[in-house]
Amino acid sequence: MTHYSQPLEFTGLTRWFDSALRSVMPDFWAIFIELVIVGIALLATYAVIAMILIYVERKITAFFQARIGPNRVGKYGIFQTVADVLKILIKEIIHVNKVDKFLFYAAPFFIIVASMLTFGAIPFGKGLQAVDFNIGVFYVTAVSSLGIIGVLLAGWSSNNKYSMIGAMRSGAQFVSYELSGGFALMTIVVLTGTMQLSGMVETQRYCWNLFNGHIASFVAFIIYLISGHAETNRGPFDLPEAESELTAGYHTEYSGLQFGFFYLAEYLNMFVIAAIAATVFLGGWMPIQIKGWDAFNQIMWYIPSYVWFFGKTGVLIFISLWVRWSFPRLRIDQLLNLEWKYLLPINLVNILLMVILVLSGLTLTQIF
Amino acid sequence: MVELIIFYVLAIVISVFSIMAVSSKRLIRSATYLLFVLLATAGLYLLLDYEYLFAVQTAVYAGGIMVLFIFAILLTHKPGDRVPNEPKRQRILSIILSVAGFAFCAHIIFHNINRVYQLVPANEINVKQLGMTLMGTEKFEYLLPFETISILLLACMVGAIMIARKRS
Amino acid sequence: MRTFSQYISDLLKGISSLLKGLGVTWKEFWTKKVTRQYPENRDTLVISERFRAELVMPHDENNEHACTACGICQMNCPNGTIRVVSKMIETEDGKKKKVLDKYIYDLGMCTFCNLCVISCPSHAIEFSNKFENATFTRDKLVHQLNHEGSKLREKKKVVKEDKE
Repeated sequence: MTHYSQPLEFTGLTRWFDSALRSVMPDFWAIFIELVIVGIALLATYAVIAMILIYVERKITAFFQARIGPNRVGKYGIFQTVADVLKILIKEIIHVNKVDKFLFYAAPFFIIVASMLTFGAIPFGKGLQAVDFNIGVFYVTAVSSLGIIGVLLAGWSSNNKYSMIGAMRSGAQFVSYELSGGFALMTIVVLTGTMQLSGMVETQRYCWNLFNGHIASFVAFIIYLISGHAETNRGPFDLPEAESELTAGYHTEYSGLQFGFFYLAEYLNMFVIAAIAATVFLGGWMPIQIKGWDAFNQIMWYIPSYVWFFGKTGVLIFISLWVRWSFPRLRIDQLLNLEWKYLLPINLVNILLMVILVLSGLTLTQIF
Repeated sequence: MVELIIFYVLAIVISVFSIMAVSSKRLIRSATYLLFVLLATAGLYLLLDYEYLFAVQTAVYAGGIMVLFIFAILLTHKPGDRVPNEPKRQRILSIILSVAGFAFCAHIIFHNINRVYQLVPANEINVKQLGMTLMGTEKFEYLLPFETISILLLACMVGAIMIARKRS
Repeated sequence: MRTFSQYISDLLKGISSLLKGLGVTWKEFWTKKVTRQYPENRDTLVISERFRAELVMPHDENNEHACTACGICQMNCPNGTIRVVSKMIETEDGKKKKVLDKYIYDLGMCTFCNLCVISCPSHAIEFSNKFENATFTRDKLVHQLNHEGSKLREKKKVVKEDKE
């Protein structure tokens, strides 16, 4: 494999930093400092991405509704979310009577920790991955399922009927859609033969998984997008917080920063779903490359990998918003019908199809 | 050093929350404490560098079974109510039983701890090996139990549907 | 087997209708945005003439109005927005006459129902288009509509104008 020059990557910087630290202090402290820095960097990216997403969503939403959107705070309203964040930080946390105190205050942390844990495993670029588990995909599905406990506890401990109904709906929805989301990812694991996220990116160097497994991959991709969208409680699947019937669903009683946690986690879950889809189906941070076209590949490598990653993720987020503002909300029975009568059976057949494709050598990389 | 500290933290979390899970008077809080115990156990697996089991523990127990637990508890009559104390005789009996069980397990673990790690292969068992063993038909391979369990689960599902379906 | 083919056709129909919906919003995404940017577009702002923003009493160039202080508007107002304060003066030929002293209008109470304007026999009041009425205190919402030193327009004058 030819080595391309990558002038804008962070790998050189991080390696230099690591060796510099190790030269002045023992390994233990060097690793400790690096861990702290990585943690802070992740938290900062988490917050910044959430703020950017909120702004982007409001803008895109406005465009879909033939409006302009935020345009007062700063040029084009770019500081709107900064203002919102400041507002939410200084808002009073209202103490509600007759709630289960412990669970009420613990619930937002469940949600934010679950989305943070998933966020930490995402490969943002070449060498920009905090932990690279060899069971990456499985880890992501496992950890993201913790968030629902927060939703259920929040709904129950609020001592409010609306919250309770919202939480129950959310639970039913999440448990169902997690299944088909996991199966869709499993289809791609069959194709690539690895669950490691970095390994998955590497196998997609010349051919994205979306094209590699053609029909089966495409179906899995669509199913993953639908179920991921449903897992984040957004768009046509936002019946846990259907404001016309349940005020705000499970977070009705929350205010101030606690509500901010729910809000933040919702946006970040959207990002995480899009990022996983980009990594698993669209090649992650790997630039578009064509075998043998060295000059072309070199030009593609000049664009740093994190730009590729955020570009692909951004496209998927846009699709998610597009869907959100196109379709009316589903009823609960329609929601469960869609999952159990359509997505899940199709998914099971699809896995079988993928196994046949891989075993009989009909994937694109095996044909050509 | 660090591993030892993490181990002690996890151990304390597990033991404290286990006791809280059985001694809490509110059903839903017990479930939450149990969740913490399961998560800390997953942390122990991570400490052992056995990531696969960590993910299984989180997905199956914390993410799956606990959600169903909480769901089921929420559907019960009054999940937040304080449960009245059991009669004194029953409490003493249960304490004696649990101490006896603990002593039994501790005895076995204490006397066999040196033998266990000789039996376990030193390198990590990866997912592929696991799958192959689960699906194999050779000696020490588990296709038959696997299929038997799946039939059991199928029977459970059929039973659930029978109970839940509308009676005409 | 019929049900299976129905299942498939349902699925395809569902997908195609979803795509149609996405197409509609996609077109909407690129349409020109029609939002009017209010404070910036003050110069070009068009407000319908019938818009009722604030009650005014038109005065002509001689600082004269048409209000005879009859109080019909005050009686017609459903929520006591208008208070007509009149005073008695003596005219040159020695007659006593009731004229308008103060015409008090409380914008904060007004529901913009237009009953006062309709019922006024001498067309002395009307609703203007000046809609930027925000103030910092409630007292400032109470306006006196007749100008300082204004007086009733002479009747003959009105008749003359009508003849021309």
